Amino acid sequence: MSETILKVTDLQKSYGQLDVLAGIDFELAKGEVVCVIGPSGSGKSTLLRCMNMLELPDGGRIELHGNEVFGEGKPKNLDVLRREVGMVFQQFNLFPHMSAKGNVKIAQEKVRNRKKKACDERSIELLTEVGLEEKIDEYPDRMSGGQQQRVAIARALAMDPEVMLFDEVTSALDPELVKGVLDVMRNLADKGMTMVCVTHEMGFAREVGDRVIFMDGGVIVEEGKPDDVLGNPQQERTQRFLGLVLEH
Amino acid sequence: MEQFFNTYFDFSIMGEYFGDVLAGFWWTIKLSMFGGVLALTWGLILSVLRQLPGKWLAPVRILAIAYIDALRGIPMLLTLLLIAGGLGTLASQDAIPREIGIPNWFGYPDPFWYGVIALTLTYGAYMAEVYRAGIEAVPRGQMEAARSLGMSHGQAMRFVIVPQAVRKVIPPLLNDFIALMKDTSLVSVLGFVEVVQVGQDVYSETFNPSALTLGAIMFLVFTIPLARMVDWLIKKQDSKFRRGIP
Repeated sequence: MSETILKVTDLQKSYGQLDVLAGIDFELAKGEVVCVIGPSGSGKSTLLRCMNMLELPDGGRIELHGNEVFGEGKPKNLDVLRREVGMVFQQFNLFPHMSAKGNVKIAQEKVRNRKKKACDERSIELLTEVGLEEKIDEYPDRMSGGQQQRVAIARALAMDPEVMLFDEVTSALDPELVKGVLDVMRNLADKGMTMVCVTHEMGFAREVGDRVIFMDGGVIVEEGKPDDVLGNPQQERTQRFLGLVLEH
Repeated sequence: MEQFFNTYFDFSIMGEYFGDVLAGFWWTIKLSMFGGVLALTWGLILSVLRQLPGKWLAPVRILAIAYIDALRGIPMLLTLLLIAGGLGTLASQDAIPREIGIPNWFGYPDPFWYGVIALTLTYGAYMAEVYRAGIEAVPRGQMEAARSLGMSHGQAMRFVIVPQAVRKVIPPLLNDFIALMKDTSLVSVLGFVEVVQVGQDVYSETFNPSALTLGAIMFLVFTIPLARMVDWLIKKQDSKFRRGIP
């Protein structure tokens, strides 16, 4: 694969006695789509949140393009990191006092310092891309969960991030709305976006993922090509988890 | 009964002094407006200072909390007397400039401004707590989303958190404003002729408190609609969440 964008070395995080991340090593290449799976409490969401410093790791290193953004227990170049890394949340977290366009526009204007007109155009373009050209002026409380999540994706994309992090973005959605969101993500992957997806959508992981990581107890138990990890897992813990997830 | 009525509702006295009482009430309104706007602003500043992140800003947070605790714990009358006495004395000793110690801004007399300062300091502290409740009521995910987009803490507060917080706390802020409006009457102790002082003067002249009754009625004309507006706003906010439950 091509150049490494994000490199995580021996990442640690604990809440009191509980080691949520017990030494994670992980590299992300440009254009790669990595799906992280695992039981709840395995640390997969924490890993994602640490990559964006929404949680502060206790130890280890994170490098973005070879520049250290976390090391020796301290974040460095936090602004650069957050600008280059987009994040989409399970609960959407749209700004309820702004329209769809306002949501997509605000950070472009205030963080990227783009001209108002350029922000407008880019916002409309992105909302059209995620299939919401009808909802540009609608407020979040008048949209379905699926629509809100697509606005959230457009909002993160508006910053032109190098990496997109997806934290169980379909878990809070009604079943019939999941596909619309996954389609948007599939599209992004096809366009070469580098993505890390914490997900329970095994079909998506298998079809779109270049690599699947199975986490449990704060460590990476198994990783590899989706067909291998999901179809022919080597570790007993992976087999047990997949057995529970796939057979219901 | 008739005696009671004549004591409190002597229409001839009310009529005779109506102009004076109204002029006094006009000062009450002006005190409320200056004090209200400044307290709303000062309260917001305090609440934001108190929520600043990071260990380097801990002294700022502690100062803000200490200020809020102190000013909420001291009777406003005492704050008012401390300000009026202190500033006046300091200015007469040339320790501070006269324009600040004995203010005469916009041509309004110094007791007016002492009142405005005391109202701002005291009610700023109260309103800071209201804003804080509003800021804390904004879900944590909002700050996370804003920061994940690369906004600084200040930008996130300004564009995302505070606008939502303010919307939530407009009713309790209005409640505080009603309380503030009533407390403007304390400025009468400085001999400032707002509505209560006018009523009291008329009482000394006529031995009848009807002018005070008239002042009370003028207050009610303002405060009752405000209270109803608070109720209406709360109901409107609630209905958004209770939709569909009969």
